[in-house]
Amino acid sequence: MSDARITLQAFFEQAREGKLVGIRCAGCGALAIPPRELCPECGHRQWAPTALSGDGEITSFTVIRIAPRGHAGEAPYAIAAVRLIEGVSLLGRIVDIPFEDLAIGRKVRFRPLRIHDRTAIGFGPV
Amino acid sequence: MRRVAVIGVGTTKFGKHERTSAELFAEAAADALVDAAIPASRIQALYYGNVVGGETEKQLHTSPQAASVLGLPSIPTTRFETACASSHAAFRHAVMEVASGASDVVMVGGAERVLNVPTADSTEYFAYASDAAWEQTIGLTFPGVFALVARAHMHKHGTTEAQMAAVAVKNHKHGALNPKAQFQKEITLETVLSSARVADPLKLYDCCPFTDGGAALVLASEEVARRSRRPIWVLGSAAASDWMLLGDKRDLSRVPATERAAAAAYRQAGKRPEDVDVVELHDCFTIAEIVATEGLGLFEPGTGGLAAEKGWTSLGGKVPVNPSGGLKAKGHPIGATGAAQICEIVTQLRAEAGPRQVEGARTGLTHTLGGNTATVLVSLFGRE
Repeated sequence: MSDARITLQAFFEQAREGKLVGIRCAGCGALAIPPRELCPECGHRQWAPTALSGDGEITSFTVIRIAPRGHAGEAPYAIAAVRLIEGVSLLGRIVDIPFEDLAIGRKVRFRPLRIHDRTAIGFGPV
Repeated sequence: MRRVAVIGVGTTKFGKHERTSAELFAEAAADALVDAAIPASRIQALYYGNVVGGETEKQLHTSPQAASVLGLPSIPTTRFETACASSHAAFRHAVMEVASGASDVVMVGGAERVLNVPTADSTEYFAYASDAAWEQTIGLTFPGVFALVARAHMHKHGTTEAQMAAVAVKNHKHGALNPKAQFQKEITLETVLSSARVADPLKLYDCCPFTDGGAALVLASEEVARRSRRPIWVLGSAAASDWMLLGDKRDLSRVPATERAAAAAYRQAGKRPEDVDVVELHDCFTIAEIVATEGLGLFEPGTGGLAAEKGWTSLGGKVPVNPSGGLKAKGHPIGATGAAQICEIVTQLRAEAGPRQVEGARTGLTHTLGGNTATVLVSLFGRE
């Protein structure tokens, strides 16, 4: 549709450089994580890229003790749901925060990770 | 639309098998035909659930394979895949085929084989039902998904690990009464609370097992069902979805797809939560049962843990949940689970469940959840 389309690949290429890119609906201003074609709020198809701060707080978390084959040897590791200050949420791998310091409401900051040669979402201390 | 009934049910023993998923389905299906007392030649279609056949058995195209092994190679058949809700999705579509008048007798089934691969591999394959780019990359597992739900529920409602453990204790107690259950032994709260950590706060005994097994049922139009021995009527069957990414879900302590599917199914059936006598629901993890009992309207939001702790969901309680032992003790062959839950409810409504019978059950409900809470199906059943 528009040239400003943020593909999944484009999102992760930018994330690898430390930049989180959201998309904002030209119709109603709703914010979303790409890729998305239609706005679920108003049905519009026009989105504009918008930089996200990467700052947010933990809304839930877990420590994975039994890992899938593709992450064998990495466990234990923590994963958290993080609500960014702009209002959208992402799941990420927690780095550089001891498990015992994890708590709902704790402030964290986006950090790009490379896990098995793929860019992945991480969060570390502010 | 025409009324539709379940006229025959069959399941294999759940556990480890040295047979393919197609063989497991075929055994259950042949048993369902015997139970329905109709010849195989009456079956006009097969709606089939199978999830990780491509991974554990290197087998796609599993529905015609299943039909061939059963001995019905020429009927139309389609495989449904909505993660752990697959055969319940198959059921809903089969109901529509019969209700529409397109067919009079249709088979629904599902099967899964996973215990032929190591746990790290099955954990990996099941994780394929979460998002490849956002969730698999960080090592999210299915226990991890429900650990996030558990932590959010504990934070919002004060639900405790002991309340979650009470769900496992209750379902094992029920499973001990089910000769087809994978685990037929009772456990204690201490067993659960001291078991190995899988994804905090979930421990091994908060999690359902990996399971091989098959299940099948025969659906019939009212005209055919009237001539059968013990028809159990489909009162409603509804599906709902939710955002795929956990990050897009606003409140991890709830499963909105359960709430939407339940509302639609109750509306179709003209029933309310307080009308339900017996429930088979998707307790893939203990917290999942707690959240489901709330989402189905059986208990107020935030009180699902208390309900388990107080015995309100036990056999003999206010509304018995998972008299079969549930996914936790009966086992969870993911492609077969939705069909197997329906088999149990049909058995309960026929008053044929033996020591695990819910006395006087007239209305039953099944609830099946797929993957990262993005798919839910709810169906309601009743006696004449």
